[in-house]
Amino acid sequence: MQIRVDGKIIEVAKDKTLLISLKNLGYKIPSICYQEGLKPEGRCRLCVVEIAGKLVTTCNTYPKEGMEITTNNDRVKVARKVNSELLMSEHVQTCSIENQDHELCQIIQDLGIRESRFNPKRKWKVDLGASVIRDNNKCINCGRCVQVCATIQATYAIDFAGRGHKERVAPYSDHELNDVACIKCGQCIAACPVGAISEREHIHEVIEVLKDSKKHVVVQTAPSIRAALGEEFSMPAGTLVTGKMVAALRKCGFDKIFDTNLGADLTIMEEASEFLNRVKKGGPFPMITTCCPAWIKYMEHFYHDLLPNMSSCKSPHEMLGILANTYYAKKINKPRDDIIVVSIMPCTAKKFEITRPELTSDVDFVLTTREVAKLIRHFCIDFKNLNDEKFDPALGISTGAGAIFGASGGVMEAALRTAYELGTGKELTKVEFDQLRGPKGIKEGTVNVNGIDIKFAAANGLANARELLKNKDKYHFIEIMACPGGCIAGGGQPLPVNEEIIAKRMEAIYEEDRLLPLRKSHENPIVKKIYKDYLDHPLSKKAEMILHTYYTPRSEF
Amino acid sequence: MDKKEGEELLPKLLQEQENNGWISERALKAISKQINIPISRVYGVATFYSHLHLKKQGQYIIEICNSPSCYLNGSMDIIKVIEKELKIKSGETTVDGKFSLHIGSCIGCCDKAPAMLINKKVYGNLTKGKILEVLKECRS
Amino acid sequence: MQILKESSMMAFNKTVEKGPKWVIDTLKNKGLTGRGGAGFPTGTKWEMVFNEKETEKYVVCNADEGEPGTFKDRMIIEKNPKTLIEGIMIACHVITAKKAFIYLRGEYECLKENLQKTIDEVNTSDIEIQIFQGAGAYVCGDETAILRSIEGYRGHPSLKPPFPTVQGLFEKPTIINNVETLTNVPLALMMDDWDPKLKLFSLSGKVKHPGVYELKEGTPLSKLIKLGDGEPKAIHFGCFGGCLAYEQFKDIPLTPEEVLKADCFLGSCAVIVTDKKTSIIDVATNIAKFYEFESCGKCTPCREGTMRVLAILENIAMGQANSADIDTLLELAIVIRDTSFCGLGQTATNHVINAIKYFREEFEERLCKSE
Repeated sequence: MQIRVDGKIIEVAKDKTLLISLKNLGYKIPSICYQEGLKPEGRCRLCVVEIAGKLVTTCNTYPKEGMEITTNNDRVKVARKVNSELLMSEHVQTCSIENQDHELCQIIQDLGIRESRFNPKRKWKVDLGASVIRDNNKCINCGRCVQVCATIQATYAIDFAGRGHKERVAPYSDHELNDVACIKCGQCIAACPVGAISEREHIHEVIEVLKDSKKHVVVQTAPSIRAALGEEFSMPAGTLVTGKMVAALRKCGFDKIFDTNLGADLTIMEEASEFLNRVKKGGPFPMITTCCPAWIKYMEHFYHDLLPNMSSCKSPHEMLGILANTYYAKKINKPRDDIIVVSIMPCTAKKFEITRPELTSDVDFVLTTREVAKLIRHFCIDFKNLNDEKFDPALGISTGAGAIFGASGGVMEAALRTAYELGTGKELTKVEFDQLRGPKGIKEGTVNVNGIDIKFAAANGLANARELLKNKDKYHFIEIMACPGGCIAGGGQPLPVNEEIIAKRMEAIYEEDRLLPLRKSHENPIVKKIYKDYLDHPLSKKAEMILHTYYTPRSEF
Repeated sequence: MDKKEGEELLPKLLQEQENNGWISERALKAISKQINIPISRVYGVATFYSHLHLKKQGQYIIEICNSPSCYLNGSMDIIKVIEKELKIKSGETTVDGKFSLHIGSCIGCCDKAPAMLINKKVYGNLTKGKILEVLKECRS
Repeated sequence: MQILKESSMMAFNKTVEKGPKWVIDTLKNKGLTGRGGAGFPTGTKWEMVFNEKETEKYVVCNADEGEPGTFKDRMIIEKNPKTLIEGIMIACHVITAKKAFIYLRGEYECLKENLQKTIDEVNTSDIEIQIFQGAGAYVCGDETAILRSIEGYRGHPSLKPPFPTVQGLFEKPTIINNVETLTNVPLALMMDDWDPKLKLFSLSGKVKHPGVYELKEGTPLSKLIKLGDGEPKAIHFGCFGGCLAYEQFKDIPLTPEEVLKADCFLGSCAVIVTDKKTSIIDVATNIAKFYEFESCGKCTPCREGTMRVLAILENIAMGQANSADIDTLLELAIVIRDTSFCGLGQTATNHVINAIKYFREEFEERLCKSE
């Protein structure tokens, strides 16, 4: 279809909004409230152009044959300027407009606005949650967080409240997030264009503990960090930075650098065995994975009937955490109190997870990918130019099965690799389960183990999980990850994030799996050693005691 | 016809407002549960409308119109009289729990300006004397 | 008054007899247009919904008469509810809707009982007519906001398309008409001498005889003012329609087109009179307060802008502003008008823009003298 843009005839797709078409043609129309994958709401009114004498928002307008668009006349400019100034006044003026992290601040810079003529008028109380912080003083009511929480996560922890200039994003009764059924997934953080929602940082606590020479500080990194951390240092999305990451952490002063992937391998040993046990006993099915702390909390709030279906396995970093405090502490002859475990996670819900009383403080601090990048910058480390280093072998050797935990479907794939071989005693010749790969929200497949067709499925995004669970009785084994795409797009990962970036991170993770010599958890030599020296065998009494946990029903509000 | 999801929300909130004079958090939870609508949305709706109150209100809810027609006919004086008489400002409730005061938008009684509603009943062509009389009636 | 005539179910019975096409054609031929403000031809709107394939359809009667200075619908509901209900029944019959909602603004709760009684009495068909009470939100006069409100969402307006005629209430094709329009339907169908030009004007403010006057569209403004006996300096067409200087425009014929020439909107035909003793700035401040209170909060210019307009006007009123503030006010007012999401914001600053246009000297007199 042909339209005229600033006098030039241009070909555009008729099923794409003007905002998207113009962007593809090299026009940088400012826009804040629209986010790829969400419904345009037309709230911010920045993306206006002039069509037939009227100012029209491009985010929700489709082209019509012969349409004439002016993208940049004085009227359009004044409108964008005034509306930006209004948003800016709301996004506390103290936020330096040089802040490149904020989409709004970037737009204001591009428009050449130095200051707003309007002074801030409201003062909101900051919600200092244990894992997610919400500062309405920065919020510009774009609604992206509300939409993500509702449509992607089906959690509805926040919505708009109040009217007019008193309208704000809030949990019910303006409670704090800690006091409502928020699952801390952090997808609202990823959606926020102005940094009004962010993780509760623990960088300073970690810096303090690094200074304390009495403490033996070990750090572990989740599978998906290495596929994303590079982005924080202007490397292309999908660059695997495992070696540099380890080197940087060592430079920060951590005593030992361990790999959560090993914890993932252990999780698989326990979970696959638990699953085979259920196959023997005939249920309860489906068994549902428990690596994702946001999903666990979601289940505790909204799916009490699933309690018996949940695997009892702790998440990988908790497994590694307790091993560091017990097995490893004994090995190096240190009292448990002197061991500090820091987990680098793509996830804000992990910050909540470590405060669970049943997990006995096995992990002391969780830093998100963004925080660890800040930490690395704090120590003035030139990340890009570091030489690769290796994890400390004590708890730092892992398999490809552990690596793919970061992508949705990965836990299931890793579990099936081990369950198949442990169950049948035969070798799995093709280790890739293609049905479980790719960006889809719900994936499923079947594998035959000892004459039984095991039906499995994986869902990412809790709205998808809700859909999948409607038919849960069809399946034997279900993996659920709260974040769309899995941990690689977790609430603690580098920003911005979009489908393209998620796909690249996912590729990187599968690439790591492909390149590793060992790709099945039960082949991991350290895992074998831990069982031999310490735990006996999967689901042994000792293993049950330290690697398994339980869940608590919580209020639906 | 069967009720659709959501259709019952505003009527239920209004019912609660009418029965109890305000909507407590407990009521929000009960409504959320009854009609299976997330409580954040219930709260969002309850805080959107000016006739729904999430704070305890007085026995008599006074809404004074301060839109142009009433304004031009002296609504500011009416507001002053009531504020002085009840010793409260807009949005507040008297200590004895008898009156709540709200200054709001047009109530569609522009031909009887200045006008007000007390528990949704219209009082028009207000004068100082008339107001004092009405308040006296409520008090007794 | 034409609007108070009754059809006594003759129009409905004839509708049943003659069918939907007859109704649509008659309404088109007789020239009935929407009385809520937009003036869309009623027959055409009904035809659009009639042509939709969907079997589930709805009728919504907009009785959320929130525009300050407008009280004509209240009069109809008080004095001729039977004909209104009949109009709703005809609409339902034409599009085979099984259910209609009357969205009655919260402030009109006192009318509810009588209206319900009338429904029970008049509606012998199997159509369900439910009074849906609002709870105090001006924005719910917007046709999309009214739908969201009934559906149990915040009364935010939503994007068009989809238009309500295609995807309205519960995403089904929906007729939304205001009270005056629907009441006119049976009259237009039955009366040979029904006059489409007779409209209801709500007159209020500084006049001796405020009230609803039925006048032919095109009557000069001065005639209406004479009926009410006032001596205006300025006229506001409700809050949204903007203001004009009376002396300059007293002979203006009251039609949407002519009023538009004075940069005002006739809309729902509310006429508010400001007398010579009252400052236009004080009225503007009062109206700005209304918009600050009633803005729904959805879009930036309206949520943030109406608050700033009020702040600047208050500053001017207190004699603390300088001439740059007037420029800022005007620039802001124009951007709010040009870029707001819905009709509320798009019209929220007409009164300011016009006040500066027609009464600039009043603004300048109040500027900070020490400048």
